[in-house]
Amino acid sequence: MYPINQIRESLMTTQHHSTNALRSIKHQFGDYLGLMIALLLMIGLFSYLSQYFLSLDTFTTIANEIPAVAVTAVGMTFILIIGGIDLSVGSVMALASAVAGIAMLQWHWSLLPAVGLAMLTGLLTGLVNGAISVGWRLPSFIVTLGMLEVARGGAYIATDSKTQYIGGAIDWLSAPVAGQLSPSFFIAIAIVIIAQIVLVKTVFGRYMVGIGTNEEAIRLAGVDPRPVKIAVFAITGLLAGLAGIMQASRLEAADPNAGIGAELVVIAAVVIGGTSLMGGRGSVANTFLGVLLISVLEAGLAQIGASEPTKRIITGCVIIVAVVLDMYRERRRNRRSH
Amino acid sequence: MNTRRFALKTMAAMTTFGLFAGSHAFADAAHPKVALVMKSLANEFFQTMQDGAKAYQKQHSKNFDLISNGIKDETDTAAQIKIVQQMMVEKVDAIVIAPADSKALVPVLKEATAKGIIVVNIDNKLDADALKEKGISVPFVGPNNRTGAKLVGDYLAKTLKAGDKVAILEGVSTTLNAQQRTAGFKDAMAAVKANVTNVQSGEWEMDKANTIASAMLRETPDLKAILAGNDNMALGAVAAIKTAGKTGKVKVVGYDNISAIQPMLKDGRVLATADQYGAQQAVFGIETALKAVKAKTPQNQLPAVVETKVKLVTK
Repeated sequence: MYPINQIRESLMTTQHHSTNALRSIKHQFGDYLGLMIALLLMIGLFSYLSQYFLSLDTFTTIANEIPAVAVTAVGMTFILIIGGIDLSVGSVMALASAVAGIAMLQWHWSLLPAVGLAMLTGLLTGLVNGAISVGWRLPSFIVTLGMLEVARGGAYIATDSKTQYIGGAIDWLSAPVAGQLSPSFFIAIAIVIIAQIVLVKTVFGRYMVGIGTNEEAIRLAGVDPRPVKIAVFAITGLLAGLAGIMQASRLEAADPNAGIGAELVVIAAVVIGGTSLMGGRGSVANTFLGVLLISVLEAGLAQIGASEPTKRIITGCVIIVAVVLDMYRERRRNRRSH
Repeated sequence: MNTRRFALKTMAAMTTFGLFAGSHAFADAAHPKVALVMKSLANEFFQTMQDGAKAYQKQHSKNFDLISNGIKDETDTAAQIKIVQQMMVEKVDAIVIAPADSKALVPVLKEATAKGIIVVNIDNKLDADALKEKGISVPFVGPNNRTGAKLVGDYLAKTLKAGDKVAILEGVSTTLNAQQRTAGFKDAMAAVKANVTNVQSGEWEMDKANTIASAMLRETPDLKAILAGNDNMALGAVAAIKTAGKTGKVKVVGYDNISAIQPMLKDGRVLATADQYGAQQAVFGIETALKAVKAKTPQNQLPAVVETKVKLVTK
């Protein structure tokens, strides 16, 4: 009885959201507002501390630096929403860029097939993550931890542990096209928008939230959650592969050590954006704001020449404060809706 | 018949066993086991070093055995300490180590010397004070990073004039290598009175260095040069300069002479780098260790420093 009530309730709330659009927008706006204010405060602070921070250059550079983290964070948001986690994204980024590098340098492939192969590699790692964790009902934490090692090892083998200099052939993704912005940036924005629409407007999105809220209820409602979960992992792998290409394009090289620890940066950005580590709640748009927040912080701290320990302490504090604030926000919202 | 066959079998078994045991005992005396403990084998520099050592061992396989180990990333000190402990369990005769941290490895290396294992230090020099405090001496076989960095810095300095602004991308700041290279760069810059406006760590890595270099370029619009503590960071700086539209206006120098830096040297995006003969460093370390094992020289009577050469590479 209990699960059926749950699913009915969750279906009702989604309906409720779409019918009571005004209220939903108000909530959403409230969410954005907090992060926006934090972002503006940070920009204000760095502008005060550094003579050159408040400039077009700063923002275009940041815009061109974020695509890799942003698209990975989109996948991570989906995974956290279904109540999973993917620790392998950083390694998968490196593996994908290594594969692209090898395809172009040693097999003399042209750019597009090489990029295709790299993204396919990402997709495959995601499929494996999803299939294993769903098939054997294992926690995705441990399965993707395994993949973190496997993909990193693969990247070392592919590159012979050497940085592969690819050169101009791969730089079109990061070469400025409009204003000083790169194709990578526009692709990342497009992916964020599409993913947000998928999350809030499609059945797939509703299933994801449902799985994260109460998987058993979804099953009792006659929906098999397994394909959805596997698909989410595969999408994340694919996006991590794309991120690897974006990074390789920006650096014009495939670095076997690329993306070490990137999973933590990505998870931090997603959580700052208010996505719950417990599943069932999240927003891609907010994740993007989280990515901006972390990137502005990183760029600003480097620009004022903060020392390494200071950088780490401040970044860590920002993450904790963001999560604490999010908890209060969530409590308030729950009170309002009950 | 049966008894005879049994006796024969027993004898055969005993002979085989005896031979085996004998050869093992023989191995201990004239066939020392040397452990090479590296930093991140993901880094091309250490990979090359290990390859050199392995090639050397193949040529001299009659003289010694080599066990080679590395850690996952350059800052994983704890993992490296574990490897040293495992090598002690393996009862190796000598340990040649490129320490992930110049201080943190000292206590475990003291344990090793206490067990009569010869310890030779390569690549990243162990901290002198830490060694003194533990009362051990470990010979350092390797290049002088400060002199090497000054060599690169001096070459860059020829294109600079007094007051020019430059920035330094340092490696992992806790390592002596990173500190020495930064010091060498600063020596060279001080000699031409160039102004080092900014020193930040790129943690030896390309992407990190790219972000930092981008920020440096924004913060100091009239920056004339970036001195990177290794070539990976130099690659990151080159990409940042390109993004900022300043290719050709900001000079870059690196260190290590990895293969990916070659096209950069050719077209001038990187002005110079230094070659420390990575492949030979481990070999020099192994040679020093073998000599000591053979001559039964006690650890504390080994020379403090065996310096190897550093070459300036500009093409």
